[in-house]
Amino acid sequence: MAGVHDLGGSSGGPIDRSQHETEDWERLADAITIALDKKGIKTTDQHRRALESLDNYRELAYYERWVAATEKLLVEKGILTSKEIDQRSAEVARRWSGTR
Amino acid sequence: MTFEPGNRVRVRASEKPGHVRTPEYLRGKTGRVESVLGEFPNPEDLAYGLSGRPERLLYKVSFRQTDLWNDYEGPGDDRLYADVYEHWLEPDEGETT
Repeated sequence: MAGVHDLGGSSGGPIDRSQHETEDWERLADAITIALDKKGIKTTDQHRRALESLDNYRELAYYERWVAATEKLLVEKGILTSKEIDQRSAEVARRWSGTR
Repeated sequence: MTFEPGNRVRVRASEKPGHVRTPEYLRGKTGRVESVLGEFPNPEDLAYGLSGRPERLLYKVSFRQTDLWNDYEGPGDDRLYADVYEHWLEPDEGETT
């Protein structure tokens, strides 16, 4: 059974080739992933494995997958907990929306 | 080294779970070893934080497109090239194509 990412040769219908401007959070997602690699906290191989094992892989955009996989690895390695990440995310979201 | 350029090989039809680097569409297909690319830590183990040792030989293997796709409409001698680790390959006794 092929993984969710292993689509070569299967008929998937037309490809959405539309583009969008790179958003700040996408740059951040890229930067965080590379910084964690450089610090020796995770590797590209681990990141790929985490990406492929995301339950909601098909619903996520490219960098959403990156973020979700990075979170999965950080939790798996015991560096952060999901709760800590959720709390911090909520805090940043509040700050961003100016409600605090 | 188990295989040399020109050897005919079959990709194992393994359904090994987890992180693998051999695409589904090649499994069970036969091809030809084009070159030996070197030895590398096994990415299937690296993906889980293991050492990836011993290193595995990686080959460049070519396949006839018409062997891979039933509806392939390009020239009959078109080939697809893929990097495949040795533990995914077994010898094939057939005629080299």
